[in-house]
Amino acid sequence: MARLYAEEMVLNMGPQHPSTHGVLRLKLTTDGEIVSHIEPVIGYLHRSFEKHAENLEYQMVTPFTGRCDYLAAMGSEHGYAMAVEKMMGIELPERVEYLRVIFAELQRIASHLVAVGTFGLDVGAITPFIYCFRERELILDLFEMASGARLLYNYIWIGGLAHDVPPGFVEKTYEFLDNFEKRVAEYNQILSGNKIFIERAADIGVMTPEVAINYGVTGPSLRASGVNIDIRRTQPYSIYDRFEFDVPLGEGAQGTVGDSWDRYYVRVLEMQESAKIVRQALDQLPVEGDVQAAVPRRIRPPKGEIYFRSENPRGELGYYIVSDGKNVPVRVKMRSPAFSNLSVINEIGHGWMISDVIAILGSLDIVLGEIDR
Amino acid sequence: MIQSLANWILSFDILSGMGISIAWSLSLFIVAALIFVFVAANAIVLVYIERKVSAFMQVRLGPMRVGKFGTLQTVADALKLLQKEDIIPDKADKILFTIGPWIILVASVVTFAAIPFSDTLLAANMNIGLFYVVSISSIVVLGIVMAGWASNNKWSLYGAMRSAAQIISYEIPVGITLISVVAVVGSLNLQTIIESQAGVGNLFHWIPIPLPNWYIFHSPFLFVAAFVYLIGATAEINRTPFDIPESESELVAGFMTEFSGLRWALFFLSEYANATLVAFLVSIVFLGGWQSPFANYEGVQIGFLVISLFAIMWTIFVKVKTKRLSFYPLGLSIIITLSAWLFPGFAIWLASPGLFWMLMKVASIIFLLMWFRWTFPRLRVDQLMYVSWKVILPLSLINLMGVAVWMWLSGEIQF
Repeated sequence: MARLYAEEMVLNMGPQHPSTHGVLRLKLTTDGEIVSHIEPVIGYLHRSFEKHAENLEYQMVTPFTGRCDYLAAMGSEHGYAMAVEKMMGIELPERVEYLRVIFAELQRIASHLVAVGTFGLDVGAITPFIYCFRERELILDLFEMASGARLLYNYIWIGGLAHDVPPGFVEKTYEFLDNFEKRVAEYNQILSGNKIFIERAADIGVMTPEVAINYGVTGPSLRASGVNIDIRRTQPYSIYDRFEFDVPLGEGAQGTVGDSWDRYYVRVLEMQESAKIVRQALDQLPVEGDVQAAVPRRIRPPKGEIYFRSENPRGELGYYIVSDGKNVPVRVKMRSPAFSNLSVINEIGHGWMISDVIAILGSLDIVLGEIDR
Repeated sequence: MIQSLANWILSFDILSGMGISIAWSLSLFIVAALIFVFVAANAIVLVYIERKVSAFMQVRLGPMRVGKFGTLQTVADALKLLQKEDIIPDKADKILFTIGPWIILVASVVTFAAIPFSDTLLAANMNIGLFYVVSISSIVVLGIVMAGWASNNKWSLYGAMRSAAQIISYEIPVGITLISVVAVVGSLNLQTIIESQAGVGNLFHWIPIPLPNWYIFHSPFLFVAAFVYLIGATAEINRTPFDIPESESELVAGFMTEFSGLRWALFFLSEYANATLVAFLVSIVFLGGWQSPFANYEGVQIGFLVISLFAIMWTIFVKVKTKRLSFYPLGLSIIITLSAWLFPGFAIWLASPGLFWMLMKVASIIFLLMWFRWTFPRLRVDQLMYVSWKVILPLSLINLMGVAVWMWLSGEIQF
């Protein structure tokens, strides 16, 4: 059908806008409701993480990593700690490894809950968001129990943990898992299977595997396109080779492979897989062990450089650290998944309507703290 | 109501000297004030109820601090809105910006003049009542476009344009659906429409299930028409899942983006007035208005017995499904059933038509609208148009023809 082309209007979405997930600004070139070009403008939340890191000792960088991806602070800390540990060649006690995996996966559930809930919010469903936050609250309670903080933990230290989990933590986590596995069915009932929701999300913003790989998209958004890359599985770090879990892939159940619905649903399935991993880790968790046994007294990695990547809830989180043998890193570069994931927005988002751009942006699940660093 | 009020004023010795024209004007003013008070109070109550309903659907408590159970929360909010600074953006078109909200408010308040609350309680008994209500309520779109255009804001403009497209599209199926009822009644007078729904008859004329003579049970076509109307009307009043003109996550607040304080409150007021109007129209046209669902007091007793049986079955179902015993629906229905059996006066009151039944129906429809809002995601603008032009409009046309054929078959009209 021939379309009538009228004058194009530039519409400024953000930095203050309810659904740009932070202080992101999108310059939309619109032709009526159709968006012909999207230009993300970033930098409104720039806090000089990398420059800060060049002036701080290694252990002092840890809290800053949590502030980058504030919805998955445990994941960021975990990645950074592992990178420095690998440089120094530290062997960790078993209990530390298990507890780290438990926290990282709980954090993945919490982060995906926000992603799923806010995606619902972006397409106009308010209630599922509250349901998701109800469960996230329970996870935050667990984190508070262990670390004393609810959002930014500084719990995973280089060579260990800040302190051991308090008594009763394991039971409470089991309790949460029993509860959570039932609640996922609730989300599917209220959101995933909803006809309007499917209309809004299926076939919208289709990301082919080629596009995803070309733009460096990682994490659930990449797997939704059908590319089976999960660093926990392809290059197992920590102790992920000991657990049994599936890597959910987008199947195009409601439309095309790699559409917004797939990106949403992969996250729902991943939460269930993470719950499985947490359960296995709790079953195998060694009772004895000093979580600070391997914490080095002096953190001075040998001269050299390292690039270490781990699977954050949003995708591949890489740390490139250069050391000159002193206690302060020469350079800490963070390869943040959301930054690369956002870059694809014009490729998959142009030609859709304003409402669809919101849905596509929501399905990519970005965190501005991590993009701007 | 105006006439009887004027007569009542004149019946006092001191006032009888003022003459019929002054008494008439005075009572006109009083009735207008009453309607406005009803709309304003209604909005305040509905905002509170909406908050509570959404809270219960979202496992929250809702407002709890201001007043007992937060009952004064919306009063406090309204006072806050009244005190806010009156901001008109520099680049805005000041005249349109100022009168836009008022046009919306006036259009939605004035429609209540024709709405019958009970057999005696209505402001103006017009012979074109339904036509009046539909036509006046569509003036709202004028105010929305004005407000959106005058704001000089791209988001507002998008909201206004979407709203215009939406309201105009949905007006057509809604109008045709109402015409299919008018075809049955043969009158546009809302009182006549209600009066023709008195009594109890068979479902769809032939199926021997005793149900009230409401038009929703008149024929399969009108049964569908009721839902078509409800969907179309939900779209017309911009409520979720059709709230794209003010879609919060896309257009910030749509045509209301630049408004604050009292003007913004007026939008809110008219939004709830419109929701109430739709609920009134659904209950008048399809659910028998102020007619009681029961023919007589034996009907009340038997009806409540049936409801109690349903409640028992429901309790058993819930018990089997969730292993939880919930006595509230059962207990409530048994209490009402017992009181209907023990106190014939109560049963007779329930069987008689009146304000109570009207408000019960309106409240149920409003609850349904709130339930929609807090459950469904929002449609996209082209999907919305698709629903209107390709689904609801053909359906309403088929209904109109179907109703005509049905009436000819059932012998209600002869050629």
